[in-house]
Amino acid sequence: MVTELGGLETVLLEEDKPPVVYLSPSDWMRQNLFNNWYNALITFLVGASFVAAVVLTLRWLLAADFQIVRTNLRVFMIGQFPRDELWRPWVSGFLLAGAGGLVSGAMWRNALEDAEEKGLPYPPHSWTDLLRRFWAIIVILLFFVSFARTLPPYIGLLLIFVTIYITREAGMRSKPALRIRVPFIGALLLLVSFIALAGTSGLGASSIGAALGWWTSFEIGRRTETPTLQHTVTRWISAVVVGVVAWIAVRAIGFEGFGWDDWGGIHLTLFVTVVGVSIGLPFGILLALGRQSKLRIIKSATVVFIEFVRGVPLITLLLFSTFLLPLFIPIDITIPGPLTRAMIVITAFSAAYIAEIVRGGLQAVPLGQTEAAQASGMSVGAIQRLIVLPQALRAVIPAMVGQFISLFKDTSLLSVIGLLEFLQVSAVANAQTEFLGQGLVSVTYPFVALGYWAFAYTMSKESRRIEAKLGVGVR
Amino acid sequence: MFQRVGIAVAALVAIAVVFLVVRAVIDRVTGRDTSDRPPPWRDINVLHWAAQIVALALIVLLADWLWTNFRDRTDAIGLVLNFDFLSQPSGVSIADNALSPNAPIRDAIAQGVKNTFLIILLGIPLSVILGTIIGISRLSTNWLLRKLATVYVEFFRNIPVLLVIVFAWGAVFLRFPSSAGQTAERAWRPLNGWFIFSNGRFAFPSIVGLDKFSTYRVIIVVAIIVAIAVLIWRTSVFNNTGHPHHRVRYAFSSFLAISIISFFALGAPFEMSKPDVVERIWVGGFRMQMPYVAIMLALAIYTASHVSEIVRGSILSVHKGQVEAAQALALSGFQRYRYVVLPQAFRVAFPPLINQFLNYSKNTSLAVAIGFAEATSIVFNLFGQSQPAPQLLLILMLVYLAFSLLLSLFGNFVNGRLQIVGR
Repeated sequence: MVTELGGLETVLLEEDKPPVVYLSPSDWMRQNLFNNWYNALITFLVGASFVAAVVLTLRWLLAADFQIVRTNLRVFMIGQFPRDELWRPWVSGFLLAGAGGLVSGAMWRNALEDAEEKGLPYPPHSWTDLLRRFWAIIVILLFFVSFARTLPPYIGLLLIFVTIYITREAGMRSKPALRIRVPFIGALLLLVSFIALAGTSGLGASSIGAALGWWTSFEIGRRTETPTLQHTVTRWISAVVVGVVAWIAVRAIGFEGFGWDDWGGIHLTLFVTVVGVSIGLPFGILLALGRQSKLRIIKSATVVFIEFVRGVPLITLLLFSTFLLPLFIPIDITIPGPLTRAMIVITAFSAAYIAEIVRGGLQAVPLGQTEAAQASGMSVGAIQRLIVLPQALRAVIPAMVGQFISLFKDTSLLSVIGLLEFLQVSAVANAQTEFLGQGLVSVTYPFVALGYWAFAYTMSKESRRIEAKLGVGVR
Repeated sequence: MFQRVGIAVAALVAIAVVFLVVRAVIDRVTGRDTSDRPPPWRDINVLHWAAQIVALALIVLLADWLWTNFRDRTDAIGLVLNFDFLSQPSGVSIADNALSPNAPIRDAIAQGVKNTFLIILLGIPLSVILGTIIGISRLSTNWLLRKLATVYVEFFRNIPVLLVIVFAWGAVFLRFPSSAGQTAERAWRPLNGWFIFSNGRFAFPSIVGLDKFSTYRVIIVVAIIVAIAVLIWRTSVFNNTGHPHHRVRYAFSSFLAISIISFFALGAPFEMSKPDVVERIWVGGFRMQMPYVAIMLALAIYTASHVSEIVRGSILSVHKGQVEAAQALALSGFQRYRYVVLPQAFRVAFPPLINQFLNYSKNTSLAVAIGFAEATSIVFNLFGQSQPAPQLLLILMLVYLAFSLLLSLFGNFVNGRLQIVGR
């Protein structure tokens, strides 16, 4: 909040900062390690066990045979994806990298211009800063690729980094007219990358239709100064028409895919997380609004759903998806595959948790905001959409990233119901005849742990950064 | 399906018509002035009621649809929907447990719930102790300790708990010598054999009562009562006179005095029992299932990383003036923490701690991955014997809901006692 009220911002001048004291190494050690007898004792004990741990780790690292990782690297990354179709993950990876670079570059430029408009200082763009923020993921990706036995993965990873660099630079240099449309371009790239992987499934085609329809509605909305009823009707009708035409067109192209039942590895883990959060989000917002509602039936129904889902472990819900969900599907419809069922349950699970996060945000919006909106004659829907939700959602972005991380970690439970996600690959690899019974889990588990850790650690650092930037919780 | 939706829409329209007619009739009869009343589609009361009824209709329709599908499917596969199967023999055998595979399913599930409870019982205190130590370490003036605690927290918070569990089991505990067959005698026995580690069991010394043990037990109970009385007495002395109470020191020493004197007076009523493996059979000492130790420790280590963040945050939330005042009163570092900072921090930390306890209790279900026979594993096992899934899963979910409910009730009770009364 403080940053928005430019006048209240305290800018530390160079001479106001406390002087930086440089200590000699011996003074530094005396102050930070041996300042009294028990700290000296702690330093010795902790230091000794730390050295022991490092020695043990190094000994393990030097003695460990990483052949199991080398053989199974592809399974760790993309599971049982058909071998002839490896171009699909690569194409989707490039599209994702492009979308990410473009959106992040445009967002940086927007933030810069926003700050300039308010006369606030904004740190100059630096690639080293980005390296510092994402070092964990970059290092782990390089580490993973170092196990590849052929050349293409190295080139592919290099090209992905280059793609991110180029598209981010492009995003930063883009004109305002392009920049406001960047979210749509990013979303379309994302969906096309999904279609490249899975083919023109109903889901992909419908979401492309929805995205294009939304874009149309946005374009018309931008061009109307004061919306009249006629404008609104035109907007809606053309949005629906464009959406349906796009849907039919995409289906007509008939791009073949496999569906996702063969997906696996870290690719599956990330996919389930992204789908769980992005589809869970709208449902979560609806549930949160329902829980805040004055209408008793709606309120109690949402409370029962949220509290039930949050009260039982995810495993029992996944068991539900395996054993019970098929029983609730109409008898004349084929039962969808285990991954689809698991994703239905995971979406419901994340919706319930997101609902509680959003509820926290809704409660943080002062009642005066709603009352002022009511006094100016806004409708119930408009108050929620234009006044309450923007403030509530802004306040809960860090918590939402936290939920994303926790869902990312929770997808490991899919291994219990036999889906080949990142952790399960380790079990599968250890069951192969050449590696069976050699206790190689002590190689594969640390490998898997590093993968999880790099993503979760980077995201949690980013969430803290956003939190500091938004000034949430600072008064 | 379409027929049902049609009936529902017709019913809703009928309700609306009846409502409007009845309201008009009542208005006519009572002669009420309705000129300032908005039309029904703008009347907030009418709209609220309409929304409620439509919502109810949608929920009923959905439930009905799901139930119909469910009945169709269960009829097709001939699934019986009652709870008679609970009396059938379970076919589940649990290591180190007297429960026979012929015992009814009911008893097997009860044993599983008991094992879940045991993981919670030992693990939660452990995670709180570990988390508090690490949380305080992160605020230490010792650079090395601080950094290592940070590494611990950043590592364990960012990997899946399931990975911690399977790693603890597959890469650590399973590596102990096998306890099965001939190799049982080769298990690792540190401290002159008072402890035994194998990949099946972990044994440590226990107490075995001799002939006068029942008398000694009574004396111990008396000693505890005396200690509590001393505690109360010293507190009242402190409250009345303001003299130092030293209540813990007094109470503990009186307990120790009574128990040691009576131990010798009764001529050693108990002795330590050393665990041993003789001819593949474990004798003496107290034995724990190794999977139990693995799941409990793994969950505690994982949860401690979250607890430590809560502890750290709560310590930082204590006002700086409190610490400065304590320093001005010349309290030592320990006293500052013990009497000024921690009591206030604990009050802040407790509500989020309850959340972690709830997470812990739900995470116990992950023992299914390493095959420790707690509730989820047992139910999973029963699924494998094609026992009816709907009822079993319902029972399992109710068990966890009950644990969640009990833990939050307990937490809210303690929290109510902790918070400052008033304001």
